Amino acid sequence: MRRALFALLLVIAWPAKAEDLVSGISQDLIQITSNYTGTQIVVFGAIERAESAQGRDIVVVVRGPDEPMTVRRRDRVAGVWVNRDAAHFEGLPAYYYLAATQPVSRIASRDTLARYEIGLDQLKPSAIGSHHDPEPFRQAVIRHLRQSRLYAESPGSIDFYSESLFSTRVPVPAGVIRGQYNVEVYLFRGGQMVSAQSTPLFVDASGLERRLSNAAHDAPFVYGLACVLMAMLLGWISSVLLQRPA
Amino acid sequence: MEIYLPVAEMSVNWLVIIALGLGVGFLSGMFGVGGGFLMTPLLVFIGIPSTVAVATTLSHVTASSMSGALTQWRKRAIDFTMAGVMLAGGILGTLCGVWLVALMRRQGQMDLIVSLTYVIMLGTIGIIMLRESLATLRAYRSGVTVSSRPVHRGWIQALPFKMRFRQSRLYISVIPPVAIGFAVGALSAVMGIGGGFIIVPAMIYILRMPTNVVMGTSLVQIIAVTAITTLLQATSNYAVDIILAGLLVVGGVVGAQLGVTVGARLRGEQLRLLLALIVLAVGGGLAWQLVARPADFYSLSLEAP
Repeated sequence: MRRALFALLLVIAWPAKAEDLVSGISQDLIQITSNYTGTQIVVFGAIERAESAQGRDIVVVVRGPDEPMTVRRRDRVAGVWVNRDAAHFEGLPAYYYLAATQPVSRIASRDTLARYEIGLDQLKPSAIGSHHDPEPFRQAVIRHLRQSRLYAESPGSIDFYSESLFSTRVPVPAGVIRGQYNVEVYLFRGGQMVSAQSTPLFVDASGLERRLSNAAHDAPFVYGLACVLMAMLLGWISSVLLQRPA
Repeated sequence: MEIYLPVAEMSVNWLVIIALGLGVGFLSGMFGVGGGFLMTPLLVFIGIPSTVAVATTLSHVTASSMSGALTQWRKRAIDFTMAGVMLAGGILGTLCGVWLVALMRRQGQMDLIVSLTYVIMLGTIGIIMLRESLATLRAYRSGVTVSSRPVHRGWIQALPFKMRFRQSRLYISVIPPVAIGFAVGALSAVMGIGGGFIIVPAMIYILRMPTNVVMGTSLVQIIAVTAITTLLQATSNYAVDIILAGLLVVGGVVGAQLGVTVGARLRGEQLRLLLALIVLAVGGGLAWQLVARPADFYSLSLEAP
């Protein structure tokens, strides 16, 4: 709410020039706790010196940290489906959500969209390792992550409260990875990008989950030993507690 | 009802996991097997990555073997010398197995190898058990008692490095136990099993150990191998999920105790027939997944090449 007020204050106080954009998010830290099953954040913004709504578009992109990805294609070998060809991608986000006032193809030209990587079609890996045409493999990444709701496009999901105030809800599903996300808000007019703003959003495990996940990587021996001892202890307790008279 | 698994990096319904532990624990208590061979495929089926499933199932096996081993220990029915010798091979086998897992992960063939080994092992063992239990049942009906007393083959007696195993009343070469230990250790790392369904027949038919010490000794061997494999998987593949392990273990130990009670009421041949059918069903299901046309030819993993 403070951000909203702040945004409004900026709208009022800024010296009058061209249209500009101020935006914020409802929370800048998402904590993954033991009962985390996904959440929602609200991205809101205000257009300063708003001109007519005609020819004006808002695009909100939430982009997760880049993750190296490997896609494998199965082929039939001796009657069995085996992973054969593979493609490796660098620079694709582990999470990508887009909200816009209308389908992005109607908002701006392909070149403009490609420049800002707006839209799933425009997601381009920074490095590709493949002996084959990588395009079907890239399509597979998008298809798979769409299925797990980590990639999504939602045109027409920006709500306007007035000529200049808007917001949208961004679903953050259970499968998100930890790291720094970026919330980008773009203002388009007549197919041209007029203004953009980027806000970082952090996703991190909290409390016990964070400690366990860190322990598994930083002190794997102690962590493994803890697993073994826990199993042995529970096995022993059960044999004492539940032992039937022989 | 959802709980976040910090290593698998996903949310699961914890009731489902406890129920899975209960069910598999029940079967393992009833049949006297570790249950890893059922648990790993089931975990993969509900969407746990196969590396995590393999590495985490081991804790479930450790726990259920622990409670069984304690019972046998009270009866003094454990040959620790034999367990120690087998473990020497077991440690080498686990090291090879964990290395193999890391290699297969890089090649993208982990799922294939796990499924193939499962289909081959479960198919072979299921058919052997089915034939044996059917033969016993038929013989039982016709009133004939079959002698399944195995004959010691000459080649085992001819091997060098003989050693005395007092508890088993055996004087044999250490090579067969070490070799069996090695094989089971490697399988344990790759398949996430304790290997009871391999060790027990091997002890009876190859080593000719007296049946009263077989159960206890194999359980000690299984505890040691699964504990070491868990440590290796945790340190080299970071694949053990302690929350998942805890849930499985809690369900597993309770289920196992219930299973023992029910199992005691059933006859041996019936139990073996039932187990043979379950083993074949799991193997058949996995075989079908290998040959059936996949819904999507592409699979995605978030990892560097």
